[in-house]
Amino acid sequence: MEMFLYIALFAPLVGSMFAALFSASPKTLIAGIVPSALLFISFLASSILLAYVLKTGGSIHVEMMTWMATGDLYIPFGFMVDQVSVTMMMVVTLVSTVVHVYAIGYMSHDKAFNRFFAWLSAFVFSMMILVMSDNFAGLFIGWEGVGLCSWGLIGFWYHKEVATWAANEAFIMNRIADLGMLIGIFLVYWNTGTLQYVEAFAAMPSLETDILTWMGIFLFIGAMGKSAQFPLHTWLADAMEGPTPVSALIHAATMVTAGVYLIVRANPLYDLIPHVGLFIASLGAFVALFAASMALVNRDMKRIIAYSTLSQLGYMFVAAGLGAYWVALFHLMAHAFFKALLFLGAGNVMHAMNDELDPFKMGGLSKVMKGTFIMMTIASVALAGIFPLAGFFSKDLILEVGFIQNHYIIYTVLLFTAGLTAFYSFRLVALIFHGEERYKLFGIDPHEAYKFMLVAMTPLLLLAIIAGSLKGTYFDMVTIVLPATQYHVHSAVVYWIMTIGTQLFVIGAIAFAYKKYALSEVKVPDGTSAMENSFGYKLLKNQYYIPQFYENYLVKPYRELSLAFWKEVDMKIVDATVDGIAKAIYNTGENTRDMQNGNLSTMLKWMVAGAVGLLSLAVVFGLAVKFSSEIEFFLSTLGVQ
Amino acid sequence: MFDYILSTLIFFPALAAVFGFMIHKDSIRAYGVTVSAIELALSLWLWFIFDSNVAGMQFMENLPLLPAFGINYIVGVDGISLFIVILASFFTLIGIASLTDTKKVKNMIITLLFLQMTMIGVFVALDAILFYVFWELSLVPMLYIIGAWGGEKRIYASVKFFLYTFTGSLVMLVGMLFMAYFYYQATIDPITGVGIWSFAILDWHRLILPETYQLWLFGAFFMGFAIKVPMFPFHTWLPYAHGQAPTIGSVILAAILLKMGTYAFIRFSLPMFPDASVYFMFPIAIIAIIMIIYTAMVAYAQEDVKQVVAYSSVSHMGVIILGTFALNVEGISGSIFLMIAHGVVSGALFLLVGVIYDRRHTKMMSEFGGLASVMPIYATIFGVMLMASVGMPLTINFVGEFLSLLGFYQQSHILTLLAGIAIIVGAIYMLAAYKRLFFGEVTNEKNKNLPDVNKRELVALIPLTIITIWLGIYPKPVLEPINNSVEYVVQLMHDKSITEEAKTRIPNLVQASMQEVN
Amino acid sequence: MEIGLNHYLVLSTILFAIGLVGVMRRKNLLLLFFATEILLNSVNIAFAAISHYYGDLTGQMFAFFVIAIAASEVAVGLGLLIVWHKRHGNIDLDNMSTMRG
Repeated sequence: MEMFLYIALFAPLVGSMFAALFSASPKTLIAGIVPSALLFISFLASSILLAYVLKTGGSIHVEMMTWMATGDLYIPFGFMVDQVSVTMMMVVTLVSTVVHVYAIGYMSHDKAFNRFFAWLSAFVFSMMILVMSDNFAGLFIGWEGVGLCSWGLIGFWYHKEVATWAANEAFIMNRIADLGMLIGIFLVYWNTGTLQYVEAFAAMPSLETDILTWMGIFLFIGAMGKSAQFPLHTWLADAMEGPTPVSALIHAATMVTAGVYLIVRANPLYDLIPHVGLFIASLGAFVALFAASMALVNRDMKRIIAYSTLSQLGYMFVAAGLGAYWVALFHLMAHAFFKALLFLGAGNVMHAMNDELDPFKMGGLSKVMKGTFIMMTIASVALAGIFPLAGFFSKDLILEVGFIQNHYIIYTVLLFTAGLTAFYSFRLVALIFHGEERYKLFGIDPHEAYKFMLVAMTPLLLLAIIAGSLKGTYFDMVTIVLPATQYHVHSAVVYWIMTIGTQLFVIGAIAFAYKKYALSEVKVPDGTSAMENSFGYKLLKNQYYIPQFYENYLVKPYRELSLAFWKEVDMKIVDATVDGIAKAIYNTGENTRDMQNGNLSTMLKWMVAGAVGLLSLAVVFGLAVKFSSEIEFFLSTLGVQ
Repeated sequence: MFDYILSTLIFFPALAAVFGFMIHKDSIRAYGVTVSAIELALSLWLWFIFDSNVAGMQFMENLPLLPAFGINYIVGVDGISLFIVILASFFTLIGIASLTDTKKVKNMIITLLFLQMTMIGVFVALDAILFYVFWELSLVPMLYIIGAWGGEKRIYASVKFFLYTFTGSLVMLVGMLFMAYFYYQATIDPITGVGIWSFAILDWHRLILPETYQLWLFGAFFMGFAIKVPMFPFHTWLPYAHGQAPTIGSVILAAILLKMGTYAFIRFSLPMFPDASVYFMFPIAIIAIIMIIYTAMVAYAQEDVKQVVAYSSVSHMGVIILGTFALNVEGISGSIFLMIAHGVVSGALFLLVGVIYDRRHTKMMSEFGGLASVMPIYATIFGVMLMASVGMPLTINFVGEFLSLLGFYQQSHILTLLAGIAIIVGAIYMLAAYKRLFFGEVTNEKNKNLPDVNKRELVALIPLTIITIWLGIYPKPVLEPINNSVEYVVQLMHDKSITEEAKTRIPNLVQASMQEVN
Repeated sequence: MEIGLNHYLVLSTILFAIGLVGVMRRKNLLLLFFATEILLNSVNIAFAAISHYYGDLTGQMFAFFVIAIAASEVAVGLGLLIVWHKRHGNIDLDNMSTMRG
């Protein structure tokens, strides 16, 4: 089994290096096919591991080699396949295989085709390290690795200013969170003496709650960055500048869920500190609503989906924060499938529309893009949480968790958000695929994507439909390592009212979206209508003015302060002081050189002056010694010791 | 056979430098490469025959010079100095091999070989006077390199470099004389009334001084070391020196010469003045944090890419200082590892800056942009070094930074949190610089046809890239000898400390391992 | 009123002061020599007086030494002075500044 573990882990690395070999040469198809094939192998290996874990209920643990060892610190490259990590491995390898194959088509006209696959496979490798590591340091390797690849892929089209800006923004924001993560790791090490999950978690119950609270908070700060939780969320929407397969893989299905994975992985810690958990859940609920509200008015297809991702991450954090770790992980999995599908569909639309992102310039595309239309609709239905698709099982469960644990505010917020989710998802679908063919005004001739791209998407489609039915098996599997709390509303009546009520609410929201954007005439927002001039609309459209706030109150002052530090402090104070001292010494020499003017009488004068000076000093000291007792007495009367 | 390996390492380059005067200038480059390759082979052989399990000094040589005053030629190497010696010979080779055609190549190579002698001398000297001699001698070749091959303001920069560091070392010399005097006082025989003069560092390590003496002496040594490191606010000579120095000068300066200061802290200040080290731990940590954040911000404001790297050096040196004053095994090992890491990475970054300087004769970032499409290999190597510089895991820098910060976390949580901002601000200035150089469209006509890195440059850059990643993934061969020597130093500090605070701050490893056995 | 030690010392001091002012103010090298002689002789007076006061001849011995050395100094000095005067035509101190720093 260890062999399969290594295959699953290192196949993406091999693929990445293979593609990297060609990265400087023009497009070579093989640089796309080989990494995809290797990823498929990785997927197969993961499946075998899954089967093994399912069958035996055990886990596989290997230690490859020592990484760092000094003093009492010992960090190996250790990998662990247990029920939680194998779930993540399946999600990662499956989605990334699909995305790789899809990208062969999507990127086929890009001249940096080879480089793209090098980065994308490198990302998968980092993600695999992240989920498979058996210690916090290994997790951090993956954590930073995915950040790096995310940077490289967001800024993939590096000649575009916005893309590179967004790449740097994402990296730096993640770094801010990584600092929190690093401090969390330090806390774990100095309090438990190890960074291995098993030993560290075993040592935690005997620690003080204060320390555990700080640990939980700092680790969660790390999670906030990767999972783009408020207030570190702005990078995710900007990250949509990257190629769409990247958005599907990294910024929807895998990397952004790393934060949730961390909380799930650290469940023994968070179980000990429910108050931090409640904070996480509250923040998650807030983000769910906050992000969904921004998606309502946005006019950028990919950003709408990005906000929806953000919102769904909020749901996952609610579940994780409330201790329903398996629910969080389940929603993570289901979400990965339908969200990746949605993004890939959006990619098809973009291709068809010559990279146009404004859905108001589309419309009626269902006629030319039947396959994409069906897939995106199903993905949206799944996202909205309609029975019997994946979202229904995972998302409704989170609502139930909130309800059962008597967090009614969280429940209400999430319920309301579910309606918003349905509305903006179908607003998007309606604007793209239904109604008038507005694209004709712009002279675009849309066409369906390559067949194999659609075929590549079908596994996701299937899973988006049937993932819910895997719930039982999944529950039996992961609850070996995660707390096996069943979330059932005790009264059947309440349960049915809740479920049917939610469904009706969601369907109502969908119907409203259709009515507004598909059946009636769509009015392209041009800044004239009353609604667009209302405060709320502007607030949402400007993302609550948070990016502007960051730009004006953090980025600009930082730049100005840096300049001031350099030009004013470093040059004019620190360096000028040094030069000042040197100049003072130099000037003293310059000025006193007149003493040495070679004129005997001047020198004699100085000699006399010196003699008089020394003589008077001698007299003063002589007197001081002679009258020392009197002086002491005098000083003591003045109160000086 | 192995008895004189350290003396060979020190004096072989110097001897070769003398013979270099007789070599024709057309073949001097080959000569230089050969000599420094032999030197590197010798130092690698030293690593090979070095016994990693021994914590103390190895290959000691002792030759009396002025025995009446206790001044002797004592050299030796332990895990702390071993890798810096290797780094020094490695960078001399890299430097000579990648040397671009300059005027007076012969003088340059002879100077570099002479400089190599002084660098290795500093790191293996175990006699304070010998150490001081090499320490000061190293200024001379550097002064010449900056002054003769530098940019427009080279005279100002070189004189500033020389006088500034020289002033600091004079204070250090006074400290050394006092230390020897205290040693004499402490060893006065009650019957004969005669003490022993000794400048041997290992003797000094055994001397237990009262706390007030420690504080003053620590201060005196601190002046010398802090200016060399350079610590805030003594850092302003560095940007000038780097700004004016030729590429090779910057590389050696950043990779090796700066490490003298931090190395000396570990060799002198910590074991000799443990109580003072604890006393000054927090003030120094605060200086280190200022170095980290302040200079990183200054680096962000720079227009000249070389200045970005120069200021980033100061910022990283702050982390090294912080790790050193963590006073535990994790921190000190981390800081020594980071010295090597920073040597490799900043050396490589200066070489990389030299690559575009050779092509365009400018280092202004506004002159560039979009280089990623013109020079893809260059951009890739630069990218690797950039990521190493910001402390990406699995690169060499991360190991050092992680351990340094981890170590200091034991002493203070808040200060470590502040120092950890290094990973944020470091990313900010590095990514901003990378973006300005490599991303965007090629706007400047002159950049459209720049050739990518050539073979000579690759010869220098590829080994550095390999080391960066290799030691990031597998730091054990380096970390293990360092660890053993550091454990020895920490235990020594714990044993000889006198104040209660120092006893608690500096961990007692023997006790800890006893507990483990039980 | 008997003339005591103090009177001699006061005389010596006055002479010393006169000599000192002369040393500082005179620009002519010859007059400078005179001033130096006054300085030396003021010291001689003090030596002789104190020697007499204590009944110890060492002081007077010293005075003789000083006289001898002053004489040789003047001899050498005047020789140099004459050479200088032959070369430069004057013995003004302000013109002697080849040692200017």
